[in-house]
Amino acid sequence: MTMVASFDWHFIWEHIPDFWTGLKATLKVAAIGIGGSLAIGIVLGAARAHRIPVLSWVAAIYVEVIRNTPILVQIFFIAGGLTQIPGHPIRLEPFTIAWLSVMIWGGAYNTENFRAGFEAVPWRYREAGLALGFSRLATFVNVTLPIGARIALPSSINTYVSVLKNTSLLTAIGFAELTDTAYSLESQSFKPTEVYFALGATYLLVVWTLSALVRLVERRLAIPETR
Amino acid sequence: MPEWADPVAHYMLHEGLTATLRIAAYAVIGSTLIGVLLGTLLTIRFRPLQALIRLYVEVWRGLPILVTIFIVYFALPTTPVIHHRFGAITGASIGLILWGSAQVAEATRGAVQSIPSEQHEAAAALGFGWIGRHRSVILPQALRRLLPPLVSLLANIIQNTTIASLIGVTELLATGQRSIERLQLTPPGDSHAFAIYAALLVAFFCISFPLTRLAIYLERRLV
Repeated sequence: MTMVASFDWHFIWEHIPDFWTGLKATLKVAAIGIGGSLAIGIVLGAARAHRIPVLSWVAAIYVEVIRNTPILVQIFFIAGGLTQIPGHPIRLEPFTIAWLSVMIWGGAYNTENFRAGFEAVPWRYREAGLALGFSRLATFVNVTLPIGARIALPSSINTYVSVLKNTSLLTAIGFAELTDTAYSLESQSFKPTEVYFALGATYLLVVWTLSALVRLVERRLAIPETR
Repeated sequence: MPEWADPVAHYMLHEGLTATLRIAAYAVIGSTLIGVLLGTLLTIRFRPLQALIRLYVEVWRGLPILVTIFIVYFALPTTPVIHHRFGAITGASIGLILWGSAQVAEATRGAVQSIPSEQHEAAAALGFGWIGRHRSVILPQALRRLLPPLVSLLANIIQNTTIASLIGVTELLATGQRSIERLQLTPPGDSHAFAIYAALLVAFFCISFPLTRLAIYLERRLV
């Protein structure tokens, strides 16, 4: 009872504009990260599934390195390590570091999702495409991609949600997204309960809405006979 | 090896890696115990209980781990319900357990439901009650199927322990960052950020890669 009584609703109401600013930055970075990881996933996933020399091996190393190292260390490596390469420092804008790091992470997971999806397309479908005189690229675009991408959809959706959640780690490099906004708000107001419960509620609202939306899309795009 | 690297490696491995493995151990054990229990209970057809466990799973799976750790470490101790300050290692471990147990609960539900209903019926016919049936017949079989996801969870948890550095735990990542700062402050003041972050990536890869391979191997053998 005391908790409800001492919970300062007015404080949250007052700071909704701050949360909204942070949320917009989170959504912007997540949108670029998700779009980029979709593109990486299709290209490198296709390279892996079709065993294209060199590109396929490079993709395999990329996937293993990213999936077996913590994303927080990857973020610091891009933000702090690359700027200190002896001789050739690479300096990036905070916003670039933000979308680049979540995109590289999501791209690696999505490469695996799409590789599995493309490999699940029955060989006879591709054979039929080639027999009809389609080039290998045209067969991929018209046959393997539409079917394989739908098989990969459920697992790639999980990756997109994770990309969104991972943007919270950008707090570590002081990028002003949702979590960082809440963190600074708390250090000014000393109201951790209000700030962090509001933060959690905002993430759940976004993550649950995103999941519900993509499940809707998933149902519409599902391959008819497997429905 | 350059001269500066030796004490840095010693500090990171002794202080940092120890804390990383400690948190990972707490988190894996806690997640497995709570997750298996909740996942098994989730298979009981009793709506209110199912809804409650579902809520638990969806909340802790939906929140970013960093936010969960912030809630546990900064917000919970100020509420009258808990009103108890705990250390950063405890806070990080609880946060990871909430996330990990939600993952395990989901995996356990799948594993338990994948055991054919004949097994349930046969056990019931032999006179086992619900608890005996699960303890002696269903769970021993389900746990075999659960082994590969548990090994991947261990790899994921070890990677996610780095988030504990953001609430001040001196685990592997934090010891690396302190070393970078210290080297910059002491003459000749060179920055070794690139080398140290690269070494951190290599170190985590060496721990995680064998585990993910093991998970794939177990998956092929057991299923």
